[in-house]
Amino acid sequence: MNDENRLEHLAKQLGVAAAERLDVRATARAVVERLREAPAPHATWMQPAWLRIAAAVVALVGGGVLVNRLIPARGPAVGTHGAHFVADDLRDLSADELRDVLTSFDEIITTDSVVSPDSAGDLHQLDAQQLREVLRSLEG
Amino acid sequence: MAHPQLRTEMSSDAALIAAWQTGDEQAAAELVERHARPLARFLAASGAPDSDVDDLVQETFVRAFRSVDRFRGQCQFRTWLLTIGGNVLKDFGRRAARRKVVPLDETVRDATGDPLEHAEASEVQALLTMGLTRLPRLQREVFLLRAQQGLEYEEIASALATTPGAARVHYHHAVKRLKEIVGGT
Repeated sequence: MNDENRLEHLAKQLGVAAAERLDVRATARAVVERLREAPAPHATWMQPAWLRIAAAVVALVGGGVLVNRLIPARGPAVGTHGAHFVADDLRDLSADELRDVLTSFDEIITTDSVVSPDSAGDLHQLDAQQLREVLRSLEG
Repeated sequence: MAHPQLRTEMSSDAALIAAWQTGDEQAAAELVERHARPLARFLAASGAPDSDVDDLVQETFVRAFRSVDRFRGQCQFRTWLLTIGGNVLKDFGRRAARRKVVPLDETVRDATGDPLEHAEASEVQALLTMGLTRLPRLQREVFLLRAQQGLEYEEIASALATTPGAARVHYHHAVKRLKEIVGGT
């Protein structure tokens, strides 16, 4: 018998006397009695699964708030007008509709500081492309 | 629910656990009768004083039955019970240490037991018991679950939340250390 087998053999003998002395029926009665006298306390703490879900929700909401603060909000920004022209939005209008728009501009803008056709009457001689250029020049 | 008097030795642990969960006290008693002795052997070999083995066995079963909802069948009921016994013994050792008693040392173990038992205990067994108390807890439990209870590494690993490979390493460390202690005889 090698050392390891000898150790295993010895280990099997350990506690045998203590186990033999144990009155298992009396132990069983005592255990049942203790369980009956003091039932398990009702768990008031949350189950681990719910804790994990709550932690995930907190992380998600917190992350969202953080990202929202770090990344600037998208949308119409003041001073970033750039190359966007209202005239481009009028692409689908016909020449007559464009003349109406320019006529309304003429009524609003009365100064001579903007580039404009010589008179409102000349607008009738412009085609749609030229009208768009006029609108774009009015936008600056 | 099976009638207690109709239950046989063949009732599985799982069936008895299920019966206990519905309030069948007889099922709990049967589980105690079935597993109390192997548990007592495990506790005694782990260093429990002889005079406290009965109390420790009771405490282990009470804890097990109160938390049986957490037993998912990841290992055998007995294996799960033995790991709870390890925790009970650890708590017992802490309480004893606060009372300035060191229960897990062979030199201060109860000497009031059966004189015949003491006479029969060989010197080698005494050395082995002493050696086991000096091992780290995990090594001691792996060694006893393997050598004393005859469990496979897979079963031990499931009970102790480790891997079979790690359990094997713990076992061989334990054997090496115990050989050094016992080998001189």
